[in-house]
Amino acid sequence: MKDIARQQMSMKVESMDMLNAQIQMEGRASASYLAMASWCDQRGYTRSAEFLYRQSAEEREHMMKIFKFVNDCGGNALSPEIKNIEHDFTSLEEIFETALAQEIEVTRSINNIIAFARKNNDFGVENFLQWFVSEQLEEEKNMRDILDLFELMGSEGVALKLIDERIPVE
Amino acid sequence: MFPMERIHSSQYYTFFQSKTEKCFYIDFGQKVVGFRFCELLSLRQKIWAINIETHFDGANIHGFEILSLCNKEHFFILNTLEVLDLKDLLSGAFYILGIGTQDSVLATKA
Repeated sequence: MKDIARQQMSMKVESMDMLNAQIQMEGRASASYLAMASWCDQRGYTRSAEFLYRQSAEEREHMMKIFKFVNDCGGNALSPEIKNIEHDFTSLEEIFETALAQEIEVTRSINNIIAFARKNNDFGVENFLQWFVSEQLEEEKNMRDILDLFELMGSEGVALKLIDERIPVE
Repeated sequence: MFPMERIHSSQYYTFFQSKTEKCFYIDFGQKVVGFRFCELLSLRQKIWAINIETHFDGANIHGFEILSLCNKEHFFILNTLEVLDLKDLLSGAFYILGIGTQDSVLATKA
């Protein structure tokens, strides 16, 4: 049989489905960081806001990286629909706890796709996602380092201002 | 129409590929529709996006789905069994074409 479909696409369709779900997840993470940045900006946590705006942009870059990869492999990348973003937070600490939980979810999802790709000999997809594995380790570490500041300095009064001053911005 | 090679059949539908045209055809019974590869992927995504549970939990009381194919060139109204059968057809066809996994084929049989 002449392999017309294989000539058109160099990944498994199920990998494409999972990558489209990942596009949705990265898009959602980007929107979620934007909501967190807005919360911080309105309350004078300027460095936290700047950090979260940058996180939002990074998540969008991740989304676009996967989006382009799906299309480059001959797949059909789907533009994500993003609804129900949480805009209400009780504290600065909750913002970073939510951010860490979000990053852990993304890591889990990436690992899940890699496991699937490996099981089904979809090595191109596995190879492409290796970059995301390292990236997620760094993202999780950044959030944990910030949460450590709350452990060290507390989460009330002037400590919040001091923590905000120590949020890494490039 | 150029000579076509039958790839897979389900209860209601048959999937073909045309080597000369480098495209695919599905015989829906009342008509045969040609698909370029990207249109085929789009059909698959639309079928996969249907939540069949809504046909049983009262959210979709009629049990019908409206499908627009090939950039709105064709419209189909499918009932529950036809949706499931089309899913079965596509899982089998993609597997035989070498770009689907067996897990997906088994999932539609479950």
